[in-house]
Amino acid sequence: MSYHTAQQFYSRRQSAWNRNQNTVSFVSNVKLGPVTHTVLVALMVTVLGLVYLTQATRATAYDYEAQKIDNQIAALETKKTDLEIENARLTALDTVRSSDVAKVTTKPVSTAYVR
Amino acid sequence: MELSLQKGSRSRILAGLLLLVIAIFIARLFYLQIIQHDEYVRQAEAEQIRPLIIPAKRGEIYAYDSGNLVPLVMNQTVYTLFADPVMVTDSTKALKVIREVAGGNLRPKTEDLLARKDTRYQILGTKLTRKQAELIKKESLLGIGFQEVAQRIYPEGGLAAQTLGFVNDGGTGQYGVEEALNERLVGHDGLLESVTDVSGVPLTIGDKNVNKPAKNGDNIVLTIDRNVQAYAEKALASGLKKLGAQNGSVIIMDPQNGDIMAMANVPTYNPKDFTKVKDAAVFNNNVINSPYEPGSDIKTFTIATGIDKGVIKPTSTYNNLDYIKVADRTIVNAFKGETGVITMQHALNYSLNTGMVTVAQRLGDGNRITRGARDTMYNYFHDRFRFGQLTGIELAGEQRGTIIPPTEVEGNAVRYSNMTFGQGMDLTMLQVASAFCSLVNGGTYYQPTIIAGNVSDSGEFVEAEQKRVYPNTIQPETSKTIHTMIRKARQAFYADYDTPGYDIGGKTGTSQTIRNGKYIDDETIATYLGYGGNSKPRYVIMVEASGKGQNLQGNLHALPIFTDISNWLIDYLKLQPKG
Repeated sequence: MSYHTAQQFYSRRQSAWNRNQNTVSFVSNVKLGPVTHTVLVALMVTVLGLVYLTQATRATAYDYEAQKIDNQIAALETKKTDLEIENARLTALDTVRSSDVAKVTTKPVSTAYVR
Repeated sequence: MELSLQKGSRSRILAGLLLLVIAIFIARLFYLQIIQHDEYVRQAEAEQIRPLIIPAKRGEIYAYDSGNLVPLVMNQTVYTLFADPVMVTDSTKALKVIREVAGGNLRPKTEDLLARKDTRYQILGTKLTRKQAELIKKESLLGIGFQEVAQRIYPEGGLAAQTLGFVNDGGTGQYGVEEALNERLVGHDGLLESVTDVSGVPLTIGDKNVNKPAKNGDNIVLTIDRNVQAYAEKALASGLKKLGAQNGSVIIMDPQNGDIMAMANVPTYNPKDFTKVKDAAVFNNNVINSPYEPGSDIKTFTIATGIDKGVIKPTSTYNNLDYIKVADRTIVNAFKGETGVITMQHALNYSLNTGMVTVAQRLGDGNRITRGARDTMYNYFHDRFRFGQLTGIELAGEQRGTIIPPTEVEGNAVRYSNMTFGQGMDLTMLQVASAFCSLVNGGTYYQPTIIAGNVSDSGEFVEAEQKRVYPNTIQPETSKTIHTMIRKARQAFYADYDTPGYDIGGKTGTSQTIRNGKYIDDETIATYLGYGGNSKPRYVIMVEASGKGQNLQGNLHALPIFTDISNWLIDYLKLQPKG
């Protein structure tokens, strides 16, 4: 592997050039060999793989969070249903009839109807 | 220099072996990954992807209470407590905990069940509440688990039992609304199919996940008012007890739209305990599925037919001899002594059979119940009043009843003479009450209904589709006339029973019963059919009382129950007296 520490300047005046073209170009003196390329590609694949794994793990972690929330929702819904049933039982006709309030009510002696 | 392995050298053999092994590996991998690809994908998916059924919630059933909705049937999750005896390490502690928390829900000899180490599944208790299950779960008992089970809850107990029906252990509705509207109530289960971890938690990885939400069953709202229903049941039960009748039924309808406000039967049951019922007959709603000969209630329809056809008026007269001949038969009155020239109103007041047969004769040539007269009666009874036709009520087990057309040999003059006073045909109370509504409401037959609508998932009430309406069963003028005649028929004897200031009318019925094809004298069915209201009829009530070997009379055994309910309804509906 050889390294060139300076960039090289190539004048394009020597060749034919047209308007609106850059008159100079820079070419890096750093040349990468085939082993470096392979290592770099492998590194990039590894990084991408790690990124994928990180995201997949994060998504799975969210699944567990979602499951916890689902369970909480289900538990709260069950509690809500139980409360609704309790409410229905407490306001059922039989319960109302046998309530303490109902026991002490009396029938009116006479009822006047508005005609 | 070119390097090469010498022929037959060990290195060359080793290289050959390695090549062979690699070739075998490649072949095997080709077989597994290419040829057997689908099979292994299927196996992997079967292991990783778990289908979870999301159970649909069965619809609840509501009734009205002075315009507000109240639940009659709800759902509750209860828990079945089970054990894997092999996994239970500390059975003493397990027994102590579950006895303390759910002693009343346990099966007998729980310790024996836990000791059965040759089995892997034993149900220890049923119908545990959520709280009980949570308390046991807290103890983290090894080998003890729970299964969720949905059960129906009836906050009002046995109210409207025959109307509601029940849900059997298989989750299918039986009898009443539960059976008739099972498809609507049951909903559709959802499906969650995804890759899960070892503990069954669904994960979002994979590209074949399915999430189909469950569609809960419809929450049905009945037209029934729970206060009216409760009072009807109470009045029926106490009335029958007081009057000594064994069985009875009541239906209360709104004559202005066909809504059923209450439907009650005695004896009855509590749907919660349907498995404890010994006589399955109590599941039947006799209002809709026990056709019987309706008896004298039908006289109101005969008179209405005669008036509508213009052959009689309330003041029309005939000579009552207490008997009348039809073909080779002699028909007599149950109530005798009102002989001489009397009006049709008089005949209705005293429920005279001769008067009704006279109406049928006048529909013919004046002396005979001709084919024309029978055709007219059939047209009114069957086609207009819809006797002998299913009403289409949204309840299971409705019966059609029987009415013989004049085209049949049995549809002769004798049968049609009997039909004028409610014999010779079988009808349900619902058919009679629905048709009676049209007599007093101006002549419109509203298809009876028990469904007011449903409550959407967002809690909004959605009104049910309009039921069928059949106008002009009789002309409006005829309706006015028969309305007045029915009021007079009640006022003739029972005016003092009613709350003053209201328009209340009715007709008694006492039907003979048939045993082995013959009418018997020692068993009769008592009925009372009437309406009440102020400026217009606001309710129609029909009461029936019967009993094996019991001789019951409409005026003695059914009328008092009608009166009780009618007077209560006037207060409950806050009806203003007529001006």
